[in-house]
Amino acid sequence: MGYLEVRNATKQFGASFLALNGVSVAVERGEFFTLLGPSGCGKTTLLRSIAGFNDLTSGEITLDGSNLRIVPPHQRDIGMVFQDYAVFPHLSVFDNVAFGLKPRKVPAAEIKTRVTQALDAVRLGAMADRLPAAMSGGQQQRIGLARAMVINPRLLLMDEPLSNLDAKLRIELREEIRDIQKQVNIATIYVTHDQEEALAISDRICVMNAGRIEQVGTPQEIYGNPQTRFVAEFVGTLNVFQPGAARDGMLNQLGLAAPDDASWAVRPERLDLVAQGSAPAGAAVLEGRVSKFTYLGREAHVQVETPAGLIVVQLANPGMAATRAVGEVVCVLVPRDAPMAFGADGARIGG
Amino acid sequence: MPRFNFWTVVMILTWLLLFVLLFIPVGSVLVSSLYDQSGNLTFANYLKFLGEPRFHRAFINTLVVGFGGLFGALLLGSIMAFCVSRFVIRGGKFVSLLAILALVSPPFIGAYSWIVLFGAGGVVRGFLRDLGINMPPIYGVGGILIVFSLKFYPYVYLMVSGALSNVNRSLEEAAEGLGLTPWQRTFKISFPMVFPALTAGGLLALIHAIADFGTPRLLGRGYNVLATEAFTLYSAEVGSNMSMATTISVILILVSMVFVMLQRYMSRRNVYHGNMINKPNRIQLKGWRNVLAHVAVYLIGLCGAMPVIISVIYSFRKTNGPVFQNGFALQSYERILFNLGDVIRNSVSFSVAAVVLIVIVGTVVGVLVARRTNFNTALLDGAFMVPYVMPGIVIGIAFIAAFNTGPIVLTGTATIIILSIFIRRLPYTVRTTASSLRQISPSMEEAAISLGYSPFQAFLRITVPLIVPGIIAGGMLSFVTAINELSSSLVLYVGSTMTMPVRIYLLILDGDFGTAAALSTVLLLLSGCAVYIAFRFMGRNEQALL
Ligand SMILES: Nc1ncnc2c1ncn2[C@@H]1O[C@H](COP(=O)(O)OP(=O)(O)OP(=O)(O)O)[C@@H](O)[C@H]1O
Ligand SMILES: [Mg+2]
Repeated sequence: MGYLEVRNATKQFGASFLALNGVSVAVERGEFFTLLGPSGCGKTTLLRSIAGFNDLTSGEITLDGSNLRIVPPHQRDIGMVFQDYAVFPHLSVFDNVAFGLKPRKVPAAEIKTRVTQALDAVRLGAMADRLPAAMSGGQQQRIGLARAMVINPRLLLMDEPLSNLDAKLRIELREEIRDIQKQVNIATIYVTHDQEEALAISDRICVMNAGRIEQVGTPQEIYGNPQTRFVAEFVGTLNVFQPGAARDGMLNQLGLAAPDDASWAVRPERLDLVAQGSAPAGAAVLEGRVSKFTYLGREAHVQVETPAGLIVVQLANPGMAATRAVGEVVCVLVPRDAPMAFGADGARIGG
Repeated sequence: MPRFNFWTVVMILTWLLLFVLLFIPVGSVLVSSLYDQSGNLTFANYLKFLGEPRFHRAFINTLVVGFGGLFGALLLGSIMAFCVSRFVIRGGKFVSLLAILALVSPPFIGAYSWIVLFGAGGVVRGFLRDLGINMPPIYGVGGILIVFSLKFYPYVYLMVSGALSNVNRSLEEAAEGLGLTPWQRTFKISFPMVFPALTAGGLLALIHAIADFGTPRLLGRGYNVLATEAFTLYSAEVGSNMSMATTISVILILVSMVFVMLQRYMSRRNVYHGNMINKPNRIQLKGWRNVLAHVAVYLIGLCGAMPVIISVIYSFRKTNGPVFQNGFALQSYERILFNLGDVIRNSVSFSVAAVVLIVIVGTVVGVLVARRTNFNTALLDGAFMVPYVMPGIVIGIAFIAAFNTGPIVLTGTATIIILSIFIRRLPYTVRTTASSLRQISPSMEEAAISLGYSPFQAFLRITVPLIVPGIIAGGMLSFVTAINELSSSLVLYVGSTMTMPVRIYLLILDGDFGTAAALSTVLLLLSGCAVYIAFRFMGRNEQALL
C-alpha cells in the first residue's frame, strides 16, 4: 500500500461534466511523482482535492493509512507551491517563510534557524529582509518553495510552479527543486504539462487525459514503452505509418503482426537514414524522397515522403555530411523493435 | 456535502439585515401606500396621485429638474473633462480640487449661497441694480436648474475625465490614418469610448437631482417636486398624510429605477477596457482658444465651488443676531462652540458609528460576494443595488413607517439615524471591497491554509492586511457621505438627535446664515480631512468619490 493513495476519485462539475473520472494513484514515501497531461485534463482538480481545496464527488484519499478527506485543509499538513507564487506581498521574505511555523508553535529561536536554513537552500539567504514585491518571478517562486518546505509537510504539492518563468530559469529551477526534494525526502506531487520537464525530474509520471489516467510509470517506461497511443503522442513525437501495401510489406519483412484495425507508429529517433539497398538483418528499409530538412544544432529532422506516409527521421549530432537536399532519394531504416502497434481503442498491443 | 460554515452564517445574516433594514421598511412603504387612513386596501392614493393636478405638477417638475440638471451637468461636466484631459490647462489639479469641493460641499448651503448672491436681496443683484441692470431673482425652476448643474457636474466630470484619459491614442491615430477629420474622430471614436462613463455620470446626476429636496425647497418658491411633496405631506403639523407621502415615495423609487435600467440598457454593449499603453497627449492651445479653454474651465470650477467659498467667507463676518455687519469676527464660531457643540458631537458620533458598521459589515459581505460566487451571492449583489436608487427621503419615511410600532421601535433614537446612513452607504463598500478582492489571487489565502491557518485566520492575516488601505479609504469616503447626509435624517431626527446638516437647514430657514455658514465650514473641514486621509491611503483617486 502506498504512502498517499487516491482510489476511484471522481469529481463532477455542473450537472454532468466529470473533471476526474475514476482516478486511482499511489505515491510512495520520498517519491517525486508527476501528473502530466494536456490543459483541462484534471491535474489541478486532482491536486486541489488532495490539498483539500475542493472535495471529491466520490472516492477515497488516504495519507499514511488514514483518511484524508475528513481532515480540513489547514490540518492536513500538506505543503503547496502555486503557479502564481502566492507570495504574501505585505510580509518580508523571512516572514513569508516563517508564516507556516507560527501556527505550529515553533519557538522563536528555532524559527530563526529553520527559516535561515530554508532560505539558504533556495539561495535567498541574502534577501531575507526584503519585500517580495520587487523580486523576480524566479525569486518569488523560491520563496514559495522555501515556505512550503520549511514546515516539513507530510506531502508537497506543486501546481505548474515553473510555467510563469522563462525557459532558461525553468530548467535551472527544476534542477534545484529536484535536488532539494531529494535532500529533504518529502513525497512530492508535481503538476506540469511540459513533457520534457516531467521526464527530467520525476521518479514516476502519471499521464492523464480527460479526467482519466492513461499510464503510470518511470520516465523510461512512459517514453520508451507507452501503453496507449495518447501517451506515445503526448510524450515525445510519433510517426504513424499509413495503412497500405507498403506498410504491410515492411511489417512482413520485420516479422511483425497485429489485428487489421491496429495502427503502427514509430519514434523519429529510432529511425535512421542508410545508403540505398543495404538493409541489415532484422531491419526494414523504406525508400522515399526528402521533402524537408530542419537543422536544429544538436539534431536534425529529415522529413521523408515514403509509400507508407510522411516519416520524420531524427538524426543525432548531424555533421555537414548529414545535410539532405529536398527531393533527394533516401532510405529510411526501421529497426525491428522500433514500431509500436496500437489497437483501435488506443491501447498498446504487445508492448 | 454543504457544510454549515462561517460563510453560510454570513450569508444568512446579510439577507436578514437586508430584510430588516431594507425590504421590510421599503415593503411597508409600498404596502401602506395601498391602505387608506382606516386601514382598508385601496388604490385610492394612486388614483388621487393620478387625479390631482398638484401631484401631476410635482411629477412633471421632478422630471424637468431631473433632466434639466442632467443636461446641465452633462454640458458643464463634459466641457470641463474634455478641456482638462485634452488641453494643457494651468493648475489642472486645482480645477479638480474645485470639483471635489463642489462634490463634498454640505447640502442646502449651495442653494442658499446662490440666494445670498442672486436672491431678492442678493449681493450681486443689488450691485447690478446700482449699475442700472435689473436681473430677476434666482428663484423658481431656472434657479434650481442652475444650482443642480453646478452641483452635479462633478459626477460627469470625474467619470468622463477618467475615461477620456484612458482612451488609447492609437485608436485615434488609426482613425486619423483612415482620413477622418478631428471633428469626426471625436464623434466616431472618442465619443463611443466615453459613452458609458458619460451615461454613468449622467445617471448619478439625474438620480441625485430627482432625490434632492433641499434645493427645490429653498429656491423653488412654489415649484414643488415629488421629494418636497413627500416631505410636506409627511411633516405637516395638521393633516399629516402618511399614506400619501408613502405613495409619492413609491413613485419616486420607480422613477429612479426606470433611469437606472435605462442607463444599464444604453451602455450594455459599450464595455471598453482602457488600455494604458498609449495615453493621449495634452495639446497646448494657442491664442484665443487657449484663453477660452481656461476661462471655461475656471468659470465652471469656481461657480461650482462658489457656495463653499461664500459660506467660508460669511462664516467669518461680523453679525448682530442674524444680521450681518461690516467687518469680520469669530462670533458665528463662538455661537457654535457655546450652543451647537452637541450637534457636532451628534454628527461625528453618528457618522463614526455608521462608518464602523459599514466598514465591518461591508467588508465581510464584500468578501462573500467576491469569493463565494453562486446564485445566492449574485442575487445578493443585485439586492445591494436597491439602496442605490433609494432617495434619502424615502429611506427616512420607510424607517418611520417600519420602526414606529411593531416588534422594533426605534423612532427618535440615534440608532435609527445611524442605521439609515448605514444601509444607504453599505452597497458602495460592498462593491469596492468585492472589486478589490477580485484583484487578489485566491491562491494567496489557500497558501496560508496549506500552511496551517484556518480559513478565517488566513483571511484575517493575509487578505485583510492587503485590502485594509482600500477599506480605510472607502470608510473615509463613507464618512463624508454620512456626515453630509440630510434628507433621511431630516425625517428621522428629534431634538436630541439633531445633526449638523439638519441644523444648517433649520438655521437657514430661520435666516441665521452666519451660524449656518460657520457650521457648514466646520462640516467642510471634517469632510476635507476625511478626503485627505482617503487620498493618502489610496493615492489621489477622484473617481472613488462617486
Ligand atoms: N470550479 C469549476 N467549475 C466547473 N468546471 C471546472 C471547475 N474547475 C475546473 N473545471 C473544469 O475541469 C476540467 C479540469 O480542470 P483542471 O483545472 O483540473 O485542468 P488542468 O489539468 O489543471 O489544466 P491546466 O493544465 O490548464 O491547468 C477543465 O475542463 C475545467 O474547465
Ligand atoms: Mg491546472
